[in-house]
Amino acid sequence: MKLDNVIYSTENKTIYRDGDKVIKVFDKSFSKANVLNEALCQARVEETTDLKIPRIHEVTLIDGKWAIVSDFIEGKTLAQLMEENPDKTDEYLELFVNTQVNILSKTSPMLPKLRSKMSEKVEQSGLDATTRYELQARISGMKKHNKLCHGDFNPANVIITPDNEVYVVDWAHATQGNASADAARTYLLFKLAGKDEIAEKYLNLFSLKTDIAKQLIQRWMPIVAASQSIKKKPEERDFLLSWVDVAEYE
Amino acid sequence: MSTKEYPIVDGVPALIEALKRVKAAQAEFATYTQEQVDKIFLAAASAANKQRIPLAKMAVEETGMGIVEDKVIKNHYASEYIYNKYKETKTCGVIEENKSAGTKRIAEPIGVIAAVIPTTNPTSTAIFKTLIALKTRNGIIISPHPRAKLSTIAAAKVVLEAAVEAGAPEGIIGWIDAPSLEMTNLVMAEADIILATGGPGMVKAAYSSGKPALGVGAGNTPAIIDETADIQVAVNSIIHSKTFDNGMICASEQSCIVNQKIYAKVKKEFTDRGCYFLKGDELDKVRKTIIINGALNAKIVGQSAYTIAKLSGVDVPETAKILIGEVESVELSEEFAHEKLSPVLAMYKAKDFEDAVSKAERLVADGGYGHTSSIYLNPITETAKLDEFAARMKTCRILVNTPSSHGGIGDLYNFDLNPSLTLGCGSWGGNSVSENVGVKHLINIKTVAERRENMLWFRAPEKVYMKKGCLPVALQELKTEMGKKKAFIVTDEFLYKNGYTKCITDELDKMGITHTTFFNVQPDPTLASAKEGAAAMTAFEPDVIIALGGGSAMDAGKIMWVLYEHPEADFMDMAMRFCDIRKRVYTFPKMGEKATFIAVPTSSGTGSEVTPFAVITDEVSGTKYPLADYELMPDIAIVDADLMMSGPKGLTAASGIDAISHALEAYVAMLQTDFTDGLALRALKVIFEYLPACYDNGMNEPVAREKVAHAATMAGMAFANAFLGVCHSMAHKLGAFHHIPHGIANALMLEYVIRFNSEEVPTKMGTFPQYAYPHTKARYAEIADYLGLKGKNDDEKVEALIKAINDLKARVGIKETIADYGVDEQYFLDTLDDMTEQAFDDQCTGANPRYPLMKEIKEMYLKAYYGKNYKG
Repeated sequence: MKLDNVIYSTENKTIYRDGDKVIKVFDKSFSKANVLNEALCQARVEETTDLKIPRIHEVTLIDGKWAIVSDFIEGKTLAQLMEENPDKTDEYLELFVNTQVNILSKTSPMLPKLRSKMSEKVEQSGLDATTRYELQARISGMKKHNKLCHGDFNPANVIITPDNEVYVVDWAHATQGNASADAARTYLLFKLAGKDEIAEKYLNLFSLKTDIAKQLIQRWMPIVAASQSIKKKPEERDFLLSWVDVAEYE
Repeated sequence: MSTKEYPIVDGVPALIEALKRVKAAQAEFATYTQEQVDKIFLAAASAANKQRIPLAKMAVEETGMGIVEDKVIKNHYASEYIYNKYKETKTCGVIEENKSAGTKRIAEPIGVIAAVIPTTNPTSTAIFKTLIALKTRNGIIISPHPRAKLSTIAAAKVVLEAAVEAGAPEGIIGWIDAPSLEMTNLVMAEADIILATGGPGMVKAAYSSGKPALGVGAGNTPAIIDETADIQVAVNSIIHSKTFDNGMICASEQSCIVNQKIYAKVKKEFTDRGCYFLKGDELDKVRKTIIINGALNAKIVGQSAYTIAKLSGVDVPETAKILIGEVESVELSEEFAHEKLSPVLAMYKAKDFEDAVSKAERLVADGGYGHTSSIYLNPITETAKLDEFAARMKTCRILVNTPSSHGGIGDLYNFDLNPSLTLGCGSWGGNSVSENVGVKHLINIKTVAERRENMLWFRAPEKVYMKKGCLPVALQELKTEMGKKKAFIVTDEFLYKNGYTKCITDELDKMGITHTTFFNVQPDPTLASAKEGAAAMTAFEPDVIIALGGGSAMDAGKIMWVLYEHPEADFMDMAMRFCDIRKRVYTFPKMGEKATFIAVPTSSGTGSEVTPFAVITDEVSGTKYPLADYELMPDIAIVDADLMMSGPKGLTAASGIDAISHALEAYVAMLQTDFTDGLALRALKVIFEYLPACYDNGMNEPVAREKVAHAATMAGMAFANAFLGVCHSMAHKLGAFHHIPHGIANALMLEYVIRFNSEEVPTKMGTFPQYAYPHTKARYAEIADYLGLKGKNDDEKVEALIKAINDLKARVGIKETIADYGVDEQYFLDTLDDMTEQAFDDQCTGANPRYPLMKEIKEMYLKAYYGKNYKG
């Protein structure tokens, strides 16, 4: 495996391309369980659905660092395309929502449950006990669904190949649960990226295509905001907290 | 306030211990008497009442929400009003007894209540729930909201300590000191019932705990101000309600919808009374502050108008009472359309009443299904508007000219709405109750129901005249007593042509009563013929109807009578089968308003002159409709043997056996009474004794004719009240399918039915409280005794009865089997299943003492077909 072609990197992971493979190398600070879990989630989606996603080839140790080897998908992400062709935003958004709706139409029975994952994240959020109590009550009042949720569905994770095939990558956060929660997460990601206008358009379009009321999606927003806040980016924290501090009717 | 130490419940193990303590205390409490409970209830309510101010202060201090003075009112209300409402209510042991009906209702506690208490009303809700728990001998364990746990627990302690002081078991009230969802869920799963007040999440969690839950839901109360409203009353009521505890009562108004004609006046009144109308961009600033992503900003709940304005960056006077946003959309995209739990109010302008109600409907749908709605109008002149509003609001409380915060919790502005701090929202709000929750929801009521017998009756025509030659005499009262003017005679062609009506018409002529005669009645009278007769009646407008003939003419007369009096009545409805004549679905039309009905039999058998029955055949479909209702009972029956002297042998035999089967079935029917027994027995004895003479030489046996005539009418009176049984069910279908005359058809089945009913281990017995166990064999033996038939035991007596019947049948020329009457074997077998099912479903089957299975009916049919040759 050649690790000389870096195609993407963050502070704790680096992604290399080697021919038709990519190698995602995790920093040593990364928990082994998280890496294996990411590979497992992706493998489950690969094996239980007909979605176009990169196949996992190997999970290995490279210089003491955990790494996942999977297909390299040739093409541009929707995020790049949106950036390059602002006039085509509506068209891309349509494709983006269709792709998400298609994913949500699938099931993958062995994936973690969205509700329990959210509940866990809320507990680790560092929020005060009262707020956590409110959020936990809110989660426990949500219906139990088993739709395949990507969990980090944003335009950077959708790749359009030169043959116009649509691939979805990064299945680390995949769960089975409520479509509304997945949409709330996507909406939040747009808002955090400062794309307020697209966020609103997205929400309207998703609601229209799925016939899910916006209010149902909004009911998840305090929860996804709380779960996001564990990532502890200081610049996001105030914004996220304003979403979290809402009252349930009494 | 309490200084007593209690074990701290701060985790699951401590909670499990706490639950054990409450359960043990409750087990003891369950044995308390009403007197002990009432003493505890009084002491606890008094203690809570005394602590109303300290508890209110604690609640405001801890939660940072609401107004101390208003919370004092809530605490006062939760103790005093609840005590007052339930002080006399029986909640222990026998709470209701009805000796004549044989019922007793006994109240039992449910066990341990899981009480989820909200932040908005922490102390008052805790007082309310603990008091109603004590009144009902339940234990209660409280799961407070973390933001209000100290004040909630303080309130619980006040109630607990007073209750224990007054004799309640230690530990009857428990609580969680450090609440978490895990512990709340555990409490809900372990308790026997859940009183959940809280957000939708909590209420859903309660319902998913698997325990019965009394949850309440969100409100989004709209208040319509109609053009007929008293504007001062309306506006000031809304201000009073909306500012109460800074708008934290969930029944509080969230929007007001004002008719455009009075909009300006209403706005001025709000302004004059210190409310603030948001202007320009202030509206948007408040919008973005109160609602975040469709959810209520926790920071504004229970805050003053001034504080909320400041949070929004809007300057308003510190004294501002309510922030009012004048908005147009009632959709959820409009922040003001949401529930706001604060002194923030939306105001809409309505084009007219219809527009106002549509807006209110939408606002209720936005987030207040099942809760509360409110309207201001003139209730005296605008009842139609109020009815319309009430019909269209899907809310469990619809308040009129009433501040909704105070109005919804009851007993403050209307004294027939139960006081409560837990307001049920019905199925619309996902709740199990739709009213204000009270003690009745916290008890299990056991009903002790003793066996009772049905009331029975004896009904007969008002007048029954008898004795040979009585007809002309009896008719005289048509003039002398009743002043009748027009008589309509129904008879058949044979009787008409042979002059049987002459003795009637002569008498009518003498009295100057005009009359007409309809004689187109066939055997098995048809609907067409009845309609023809009814049309003639309608044209003639008689005030008396005289039906002369056998069963057919009398039945046809009854049907014509119905069609004449009630041309609107539906035949199919009248013919609907019933299980119990007193509980039938259809109410038979009232008869006798146009004409008196007189029945004059010319044969001795049918009994129709004294029965409430009539059978009519639809000539198109061939269906027979049996009608049964006491409205069909003739007013007068005239039994005159002169009309029967020349009856032919065959008719005499068949009618006589028909009367025997009436008496036999009425005697063993489940509705039998001593009244009908006497008639049935006497009828049987007379017919056995006199029928042979009538049969042999009827023309010359006036005494025998008269005896049998009276007996047939007596048997009719017996079965008019006791009803018949499966013999008639089967005979009806033999007639319908194979045209065997009714009396003969009964005769063919009798033996098999007697044997069938005499079985002491029947497959199924009939369902009727009076028929306690299978004992029909003994009943038949009683008949044998009365007839003087001998036998050493009941079995022998039943055999003797069967033999006597068979001997009489043979004596009067009745053949033994269905086959003997020329019914083709193959055709019989082909129709057997249909006949069986229809016989099973016949109206007569229900009174039979043995409930027949269809295969048993079929078996009896086969036996009757083949007789001695039946091999089984």
